[in-house]
Amino acid sequence: MKKYFTDFGTAIAKGDIWTRLSLLVMGAGYFGRKQIMKGILMTLIEIGFFVFTIRFSLQYILKLNTLGTVQREETLDLVTLTKTVNDYDNSLLILLGGIIGILLIVAFILLYISNMKTVYRLQLMKENGEHINNFAQDLRELINGKFYVTLLTLPSIGVLLINIIPIIFMICIAFTNYDMDHQPPTYLFTWVGWSNFKTLFTSTTTITFGYVFVRVLVWTLIWALVATGTSYFGGIFLAKFINHKMTRCKKLWRSLFVVTIAIPQFVTLLLVGKLFGDYGIVNSFCNQIGLTAFLQDIGLVGKGLSYIPFLSKPGWAHVMIILINIWVGVPYQMLSATGILMNIPEDQLESARIDGANDFQIFWKITMPYILFITGPSLITAFIGNINNFNVIYLLTSDYVTTNMAFANSNAKEVDLLVTWLFTLTNDYSNYKMASVIGICVFIICATITLLSFTRMIAGNREEEFQ
Amino acid sequence: MKKTMRIVVRHVILALLAFIWLIPIIWLFVTSLSAYKGINTMHFFPAEWSLDNYAQLFFRPDTVANFPAWFKNSMIIGTCSCVVSTAFVLMVSYAMSCMRFKARKPLMSFAIILGMFPGVLSMIAIYFVMKLLGLSNSLMGLVVIYSAGSGLGYLICKGFFDTIPVSLRESAKLEGASELTIFTKIVIPLSKPMIVYTVINSFLAPWMDFVMAKLMIRSKDPVDWTVAMGLFTLVQRTLVSDYFSVFCAGGIIVAIPISILFLIMQKFYVEGITGGAVKG
Amino acid sequence: MKKKLVSVILAASMVATMMAGCGSKAPAANENAGTENGEGTAATTDDAIANLIAATDKTVELTLWCNETDAYQTVIRELVDEFEETYSEVDFNITIGVESEANCKDDVLADVEAAADVFVFPDDQLVDLVNAGALQSIDATYTYDPAKTNAATTVEAATVNGKLYAYPLTASNGYFLFYNKNYLSEEDVASWDNLLAAAEAQGKTVGMEVSGAWYLYGFFAGAGLDMYGNEDGTNTCNWNATDTKYTGADVATAISDICANSAMVNCVNEDAQSFALNGEMIADVNGTWATTAFQEAYGDGYAAAKLPTFTVNGDQVQMGSFAGYKFVGVNAYSKNTGWAMLLAEFITNESSQTKIGIATGEGPSNLVAASSEEIASAPALAALAAQSEYASLQRVGNEYWGPAATLGQLLVEGSYTDVQQILDEAVAGITQAPQ
Repeated sequence: MKKYFTDFGTAIAKGDIWTRLSLLVMGAGYFGRKQIMKGILMTLIEIGFFVFTIRFSLQYILKLNTLGTVQREETLDLVTLTKTVNDYDNSLLILLGGIIGILLIVAFILLYISNMKTVYRLQLMKENGEHINNFAQDLRELINGKFYVTLLTLPSIGVLLINIIPIIFMICIAFTNYDMDHQPPTYLFTWVGWSNFKTLFTSTTTITFGYVFVRVLVWTLIWALVATGTSYFGGIFLAKFINHKMTRCKKLWRSLFVVTIAIPQFVTLLLVGKLFGDYGIVNSFCNQIGLTAFLQDIGLVGKGLSYIPFLSKPGWAHVMIILINIWVGVPYQMLSATGILMNIPEDQLESARIDGANDFQIFWKITMPYILFITGPSLITAFIGNINNFNVIYLLTSDYVTTNMAFANSNAKEVDLLVTWLFTLTNDYSNYKMASVIGICVFIICATITLLSFTRMIAGNREEEFQ
Repeated sequence: MKKTMRIVVRHVILALLAFIWLIPIIWLFVTSLSAYKGINTMHFFPAEWSLDNYAQLFFRPDTVANFPAWFKNSMIIGTCSCVVSTAFVLMVSYAMSCMRFKARKPLMSFAIILGMFPGVLSMIAIYFVMKLLGLSNSLMGLVVIYSAGSGLGYLICKGFFDTIPVSLRESAKLEGASELTIFTKIVIPLSKPMIVYTVINSFLAPWMDFVMAKLMIRSKDPVDWTVAMGLFTLVQRTLVSDYFSVFCAGGIIVAIPISILFLIMQKFYVEGITGGAVKG
Repeated sequence: MKKKLVSVILAASMVATMMAGCGSKAPAANENAGTENGEGTAATTDDAIANLIAATDKTVELTLWCNETDAYQTVIRELVDEFEETYSEVDFNITIGVESEANCKDDVLADVEAAADVFVFPDDQLVDLVNAGALQSIDATYTYDPAKTNAATTVEAATVNGKLYAYPLTASNGYFLFYNKNYLSEEDVASWDNLLAAAEAQGKTVGMEVSGAWYLYGFFAGAGLDMYGNEDGTNTCNWNATDTKYTGADVATAISDICANSAMVNCVNEDAQSFALNGEMIADVNGTWATTAFQEAYGDGYAAAKLPTFTVNGDQVQMGSFAGYKFVGVNAYSKNTGWAMLLAEFITNESSQTKIGIATGEGPSNLVAASSEEIASAPALAALAAQSEYASLQRVGNEYWGPAATLGQLLVEGSYTDVQQILDEAVAGITQAPQ
């Protein structure tokens, strides 16, 4: 880090006229070394940056500290039916424009510093009489040594647009009072510091966010663990079962299960939700065969109910959601496990068999460790995916009415995951500030889990071993 | 004798499992053939059979259900975004797997951390970014949303590239090939299963996603919707009793091309997943 | 730029001439405030429309969101065509969107700048829309005066702080009882006790979404307990009162008793329709949106009545309800406010309301339209009219819905030990300050 800035200092201190001129006109250093095209490009970038900042983002950046002060006022001229609106501030645009502007400024400063260093290096090369690339050579470098720059530019811009800017934006929202009563463009919202976080960890009779947060968090973690585990092992067992040498028509069986993937998930989930609805077919059926009455007798179904509350009571709904998730998830896992099973080194299995191990032992001693070794990372990804599994919960429990007043007071349900809860908060109650706080918590949880388990994978130099 | 018994038992279990897995699909299918438009809560099979739902879907677009338009929109989005996504994934994977540069490891860690932020939350922000760019409420905007962030999903593909022997690339380099040539002439032809896997996944996104699409497409004119959005609208409270079986028919129609794709690509798909998973 | 200047001058001169024309009276006549405007009015409104037409030189792009049912869409399409004919000097491009009214507020507020110029919404969303600044206040009208032509209750419901914010469209968005007169007599449907007894005796069922906060209100309101929204977005609620004629606990117990009957089914609209169709359910508390379904299901037995009375502490108490209206609102962020207002006026005028009423079976808010033979004779609307004297305006803060639904669910199941305690908790939730 320190070297980064000392290099910059050196460049200024020891630079010649061209290098120092680059402080002002970024392309100057290149002009001095006859890299005309590069010089023009650099200068254009510089001009572009200043034009953009002054014309567009500066107005937002200047207002970032208050997020705007002028509220919208409109007057309708009743005789001409034309409307005049004052020049009002839109907090949302200010925040977004400000973030974009600041990101650009940071990027520009980095570019500026590295430009100085490049220019200084060019100066040194010239002094030492080294070869300096012309423009065509520079371009060729972009498909060769620096090919990664070419490859990564567009995807990075995409990620910046779709991921980074929105994430920074939402993190900022957690520190504002953006909610139902402070909705742009008509109203302004402003910074409130940590007060939303305090609300999240408060529990009183009416402010139940603290209590609900803990309950929802616990269920989210249980769900992620069980959902990932069941469909993972279910998939492997199914794959193993189909792949067994005694099974005929392997392909046909596999296809039967794969068909369930082909129908969009939201269609099947809505459908299964209707099947198991309070007055759905399954309930009609259970009623007819007397199962409902039987369950009522043994106390599994409340006396006040005339149906089995598959998806409408805590407990029942929790179990059903996990079962339905097995239905959804197993075919996927089966597909990928099939591939892995086919690749198991035959020699290991063979030698185990010669040693007299039975099928069961082989499975647990050789097959499972092998599969675990291969799918470990994707297992963690699946776990994180399940923490954020919006579809299954949202589509299956849209008719769920909570009977716990504390949940109702925080607009949550017992079956909510953190993500579905925050969706309800934003979508139905425009409570963006609390949703952002919850979102940050989800992020911290996921990041911790992943970092604990993934570091090995990123840090290790395993990738070279395989090449 | 004992062996035949075991084979029979095994197949009976499999048949039972397959049956459980197929019940909802069968229900979907038979309901799509029902003459009654609402939900039948009493009987599994419809009382009266009819092909009318399909006819309505294709030939009688009304003020709510305009399946041909939805299908066209989803097709356009799916095709465009799968081209862009696949390109992005391959590009990022190649850079991360086959090239060495200073920022590589930090970038990889950064990508993983980014992927953990709940997408549901940043949706509204994405919407406003798109609006700022003038892309909200357009098919183009949805293409950008489905594909722009796809670079983050490079892990599996990178794992696959890691398994391509280094010597192949080295020898090509000795013969004077540029990285671009190696990428397009050597690595890409070798990664067919991976491409198939990515293509399928990114093609499916617009057929499956209704949340993002509903947020992005503010237009309430059914002509502008995607299949997922449209079908989801059909089962909203006010409409479900008139359109449920039409919804089922729509589900079946969408499933046909996808299952064909799946069945044909099954082999590639399996290789694609595992090839990557070996390295993660 | 030049054009703009011209129109400003034009407007200014118009104002000047009018000032001269009608003395010192301000031209911005606020008609709906009920003031007598005298002779100047006609000239003002005609001039305003003429001004607008003169100032419009491009195609006017408008979007209109309304109910997704085919009947609605078709009749609105016809009305929009008529509107375009009426102002044939101007080029219009009017898009009609399909929007479930229940979601209207959420969709408008998510991004008000991208929402429709004109949209139809139920009255309970009015306050939130006004608070968010999404609605254009109607300070003047040009083709008719909604305050005079519509039922007073609907106008009152569309007014916030003395300002009219929407054009009333229908007055039939409340709930009442559908029943099958082949099974039930008028006497049966007068009280819950008779109704349930009759249904039980015939092995049939009666439906109502008791666990729906919207319907649950009817019981408590009928027994004289209060629940209403305040201006700051909170609610006032005394459903846990112990000092009223009927205490909250009395009402809650009465609800539980009704739900404990085996003939009673707590179910949502689509389930009820399906039950009615297969002949199981012979009465259901529902609204006009289900008219067609129940007509089809009950055939010649189709009938409707006001809500039944229920037994509290041995007395028969008439159920209350929320009176529901549909309004047409103009987006405050519309780029063509003038035309949007005229369009909204057009689809809510007397003849339009009549057409909508006939096409959709909903009751117009316009008094003349509502009394027309074809509409007033519909059983559903007659039932609503009978219920209307027990119905109250729906001005409810957001925090009501969650806790009230939970309370309803608890009462339906009867799965509580201390009724006062759940009422206290519910009231605490309903009256909490929005977070």
